[in-house]
Formats: sequence, C-alpha cells, structure tokens
Amino acid sequence: MSDTSPERAGGADGADRDALAQTIVFSGVSVVRDGRTALDRLSIGFEETRIGIVGLNGSGKSTLLKCIIGLVKPTAGTITVDGRDAVGEARAVRRSTGFLFQDPDNQIVMPLVGEDLAFGLKNHGFSKAEIGARVDAALTRLAIGHLADRRIHELSGGEKQLVALAGVLALTPKTVLFDEPTAHLDLKNRNRLRDVLHAMPEQAIVVSHDLDLLADFPRVVLIEAGRIVHDGPAAETLARHREASR
Amino acid sequence: MIAALARPGTSALHRTPAAPKLLGLAVAATALFFVDHHGLLAAAFVAALAVARSTGASFAAIGRDLRGPAVVLAVLGLADWVMVDRATAVTVVLRLGAIALLAHAVTVTTSTAELGEVLERLFRPAERLGLLDATRAALTVTLAIRFVPLIVEEARAIREAQAARGLEGSIVALVVPLMVRVIVRSEALADAIDARGFPPEHAVSSTNERR
Amino acid sequence: MTTRDLGLVALMAAVIVALGAVPAIPLAGGVPITLQSMGVMLAGLVLGPRRGAATVLVVIALVALGLPVLSGGRGGLAVFVGPTAGFLFGWVLAAFVTGFLAQVLEATEKSTLVRTAQLTLAAIAGGIVVLYLCGILWLAFFVKMGLAKAFMVSLPFVPGDLAKAIVAALVTVKVRQAVAIERR
Repeated sequence: MSDTSPERAGGADGADRDALAQTIVFSGVSVVRDGRTALDRLSIGFEETRIGIVGLNGSGKSTLLKCIIGLVKPTAGTITVDGRDAVGEARAVRRSTGFLFQDPDNQIVMPLVGEDLAFGLKNHGFSKAEIGARVDAALTRLAIGHLADRRIHELSGGEKQLVALAGVLALTPKTVLFDEPTAHLDLKNRNRLRDVLHAMPEQAIVVSHDLDLLADFPRVVLIEAGRIVHDGPAAETLARHREASR
Repeated sequence: MIAALARPGTSALHRTPAAPKLLGLAVAATALFFVDHHGLLAAAFVAALAVARSTGASFAAIGRDLRGPAVVLAVLGLADWVMVDRATAVTVVLRLGAIALLAHAVTVTTSTAELGEVLERLFRPAERLGLLDATRAALTVTLAIRFVPLIVEEARAIREAQAARGLEGSIVALVVPLMVRVIVRSEALADAIDARGFPPEHAVSSTNERR
Repeated sequence: MTTRDLGLVALMAAVIVALGAVPAIPLAGGVPITLQSMGVMLAGLVLGPRRGAATVLVVIALVALGLPVLSGGRGGLAVFVGPTAGFLFGWVLAAFVTGFLAQVLEATEKSTLVRTAQLTLAAIAGGIVVLYLCGILWLAFFVKMGLAKAFMVSLPFVPGDLAKAIVAALVTVKVRQAVAIERR
C-alpha cells in the first residue's frame, strides 16, 4: 500500500496510460449558484492517470467534476482540457472525456441496453457499422455481452452501472470522470467496479466517499468549502480527511 | 402494462418495416369509419382477427392484451343499444373492434427503436415549419418509454413506504413525493444527456444550446 | 426547449402513464375514475402551459405508437378515432389552459388556502371546462350522438374530476414548497 506509483495504482502498463492522460487545468475558477459558493477561486492541474477527490457533502466535489466537461459553467476563471476550453469547446471535450454519474438510472436514456450504448455514439456521428462494432467491444470489455438485448428495467443496480460505464467506454475516451460510482452498489458490485476501475488504461478522476476505492491512488485531493485543503498521495490525504471528519 | 410491447417473431408482419404498417393501419381505420353496412363490418372484423392471429399470437394472448379496450367497447355498445338502437351498437362494436385488433397486430410486431425512428421522420415536416426539433422530440418520446417502468416502480415503493406510516389511501402522500423526485431527477438526467454528446453533431444549431 | 425541459417533459409523461396504472376507484353509479386525468392537470399546474401541453403531446405520441399507456391498458391508433378521442386531444388544450391560468392566478405571497383555491380554479377551467368541451363536441358530431346525449353521458364523470382538481392543486402547492420550479 505504501507504493503509490501510477503503475501500481492500476496494474496496467504505465507508458500506455501516459499516452491517454489529458492535462486538465483550472485557473481561478469560482462557481456561485443561488448565492452559494460551490468553488472558490480554485487553481489546480490534473495530469496523472489516477486522481481521487474527497470531501464532505456540499464541499464542491461534484461541481468540480461537472466543470471539466462544461456541465457547470464557472462564474469566474477558466477550465481547459488538453488546451481546449471546457465551455466553448464542450463538444470536443465531451468526446474525449466520459462521465459516469452516481445513479445509472439517470444516465441510461434508452429502453434497451444495446440502444442505450448506441446513444452517445450516434450523438458523436459514428456510422451504423462503427456503432455496432463499438457497442459489441464495450460490452465484451466489461464482460456483459449477454445483456445486449435486455430491457434496462429488468437489470440489477450493479448491471445498470456497468451498462452506463459501457456507454461511456464505447466512445473510447481518454479520461473518465466518476461521480460517486459506488454509492448505489452493494459490496459485491462495489468490488467489481473497483476491479474494472483498476484495470482501465484510461485516465480516471474519481469523486468518492468510498475511501477504500481510492486507497492506492497516487494523488488524492481533499476539498472543503470549494477550496483545496490538501493534495498528495492517497495515504496522506485520506488520513487527513478521516481526521478532519471526526 | 407497457411491457405488452413488441413480441419477437418471424411472421410476415414482423418482417414488414414500421412505416408501411402504421400507414396501413391509419388507412384501414379511416376507411372503416365510412362503412356502415353490417355484413362488410363483420367481414372486416373477421379479417382483422385473422391479421392479429397471423402474428403468431394465440387467441388467448390477444384476449389478454385487449382486455382493457374490450371492456370500454362493451360499455359503449351497451350505451348505444340503450340510448340509440341495436343497429348503431353493432356498427360501433364491429368497427372499433376491428381497428383495435389491427392496431394490436402492428404493436406486437414492431420494436421500440423502429417506432422511434419512424417518429423522428414523422416529426421532420413539423420541424421544417419551425414547430419543433425532430431529434429532441423523438428523444423525449423514447425517454418517456424508458422511464415508465421506473416511475411505476417508484410509485409502488412510495406507496409501500406511506402504507407503513398509515397513509396508504392518500393520493397526496403518493403524488407529492413522486413529483418532487421527478423534478430533481430531471436535472441529473439533463446533465447525463448533455454529457453524452446530445444533441447529435448534424442537428446542432444555435437554438439548441442549453441555457 | 432545453435538455432540462426535455427531461422534465419525458418524466412527467411517464408519471401520467404510471398514474393510469394505479387501480381505478369505482365511483357511485359504476363510473370508474382513474388518476390519469389528474396527471394532465398536474402537468399544467406544475410545469406550466407550454411544457404541460408538450407532456400531453408525448403521451399522445405513445398512444399513437400503439403502447398501452392509457388507463385500462388502452393504446394504439384506434383510440384516435374512438369515441373518447375528443377527451384525448382535449388534454393538450386542458394542460395548456390549466398551466396558463396557474401562471396568471397564483399569487405566491398569499396563504396556502388562497393559493390552493386559485390553482383549483385553474385546474377546473382547463381540466374540466375546456376538456369536456372538446370531448362532448367529438362525441356529438364525430360519434353522431347529438349534443344532448353527449352531455348526458359525460356528466357522471364531473364529480370525480372536481375532486381531482382539488387534489391536483393541493399536490402542486406542496411540490412547489419542496422544490423550486418555474412555470413555462
């Protein structure tokens, strides 16, 4: 556990990962919503392949994640992803940056599994043949090929989360943003998601209350009232977070 | 309820594309409204029954799926008999019965995805008139199909929770939480749809930009 | 229409369908009442005129697609030429008028009682007056029942719908206390 090098963190080849990772830069970002400050003049850069974000409810973690793909527009400051502006070039940023939401029921929009995986691909203009191939590949990658023709409402919570993730991975993003990915999962599915996360070559930024999930991340950021209060290896940041939330 | 949708099969109707089937249904339904002759209507009813059977559905299955409409039809026939005359009652029951059977045949042989595509095409003329955005309208309808089972499930869960608090009969105690959840969910849903690259590249226009 | 509107309309349409699945309550005289038409009032009262009407249009599209979404499991194009089609098409106008009047009438600074009364009035005007006008005209002229008979067969449903208008108004006041939502 003391070894927090990126290679160790995911178990995949380190060189591959660096090729995928994007450089995400927040410069003086503030977000004020309904008179509440969610992010407070935040400046930080992310380029590692595994980044954890922790903090109490309402600390601004989810807002930070949503800012990266332009779902939340900053009141002040800018966010860039590999040099592209998160708001002005949102389409390109969303093409290379996937987002896994906390509740898969809000993310899955089509009645059938196969149709849902095709949704994002259609939006990004892939051909019918390409869509078919990518849907198959994404389902195979997560070992859920048998779900292809199933109706969403017949699936378990864990299966839904994997389908939502397959929909993200089908676009072969460089980065996947995870917003509390295990909050709705039981222990078995939590372990399964952790395995999937660890095996991914893609860059992953994970917001979570599930500290075990982040335990071997090389970098974990602690956020409080919209500000970064600690930034370091998992062991260090998590210890501080545990201490502070007592 | 909404699960009584397409049933996989290999019948001639299953192999026919959705658009001609829907068009055929519309033409047949309209035509039947100009027929008052009992013999012709009875023939149409038998023919419609044969079409419904040709999809591979048993009489029992057809009966099960059409129980709701059958009750409405029976009440209506009775009302017509009492208030107008027997001839009108026979006309109405045969006509509407035939249409219901044909509609059922189309429904069980067409997949949701196919229906959605037909819908988007149907919306195009309205889009050209500036009335709506066909891509968005079609997605809205598909989303509704996707969420019906979830909302039904949510309603049942709320009912159970309220029953535990002794509020099982209260409509307000059911509908208020249901509506609040829907409003909260719509926010997360919109974020997820945007995150997944909607609207499609070719459909992007200045009026489509969110907020 | 923003993506948020799109989601809200789709989810509200699903609520209307779900309310059709809640078992009907048999009223005096054997007239069944279902909660579905209350869903139409709610669409107008909570979402406002345009989104409310859009919600009903989505439900109608589902009916056209042949899905058994109406109470009693009815659906399919047959409904559009059936005897109750006037009430189905009338829903669009009903939701719009209800939403429009809710926007105009509801004075948020007033007491809960006053607001409930104002919203009930909006639901009655849209969900009963306008709706029955559409439904009765259809019955009278398309089903050739004649105005008087069409009126008579529709009358037994009025008490149930009045009750629904009051409940819809109560629900709306409580929902708007819980979450902020504009009418559009």
